[in-house]
Amino acid sequence: MILSHFTALLIFALIVSVVFALINKTQPMEQLKYGAFVFLSFLGVALVVGWLMFPFPF
Amino acid sequence: MPKKKHENTGTEAAPEEIESGESTPENPPSNIREPMWVGTALAICITGWLIPGISHIVLGRWVRGLIFTASVMTMFGLGLMMQGRLYDITPEVPLHMFAFVADVGIGLPYILAQRLGYGVGVLSNPNYDYGSTYLWVAGLLNYLVVLDAFDISQGRKP
Repeated sequence: MILSHFTALLIFALIVSVVFALINKTQPMEQLKYGAFVFLSFLGVALVVGWLMFPFPF
Repeated sequence: MPKKKHENTGTEAAPEEIESGESTPENPPSNIREPMWVGTALAICITGWLIPGISHIVLGRWVRGLIFTASVMTMFGLGLMMQGRLYDITPEVPLHMFAFVADVGIGLPYILAQRLGYGVGVLSNPNYDYGSTYLWVAGLLNYLVVLDAFDISQGRKP
């Protein structure tokens, strides 16, 4: 199976954010907010770091 | 009018805590269980290490346990499908020990996958690195899940 890097990142972020949210928060609404925050943080940081590395040849 | 008190602590709850329903150290949720004997808790944790999510199911947290099982096993399965590598103990390369500790966190699926010849690692696959990372993280997440189950069994978490 071959996934694009972005798809692999999306799946990774989704699974990790679900587990983190269930472990760290107890109320469903808190879990939803925290899970969304972790998921979007994964995506945001990956995109920003990806763009920052883009100009570098190494 | 009598002031509202916490169910577990008996102390007075702040109005904002009562309204929001959020759990705080001063306002613990009502479904916290009595601390379990440590031996039993450890047995549950070892079972949870071997079969991801089972410890929560044993403790009565069905939904959470099933979600953990689905999440961790999906990540592990995808890691194998991306032809990532399951690391073993190799004395010649001591740093592989870290990867082994992460991989073995998944428990029985690690042993089964190795016995069935999966997790060899195909470097030519473009997703090899992602696959190996998925396998590590699946094991590491299972460690977190087991620790969460231990906290629940000791009455530290709902």
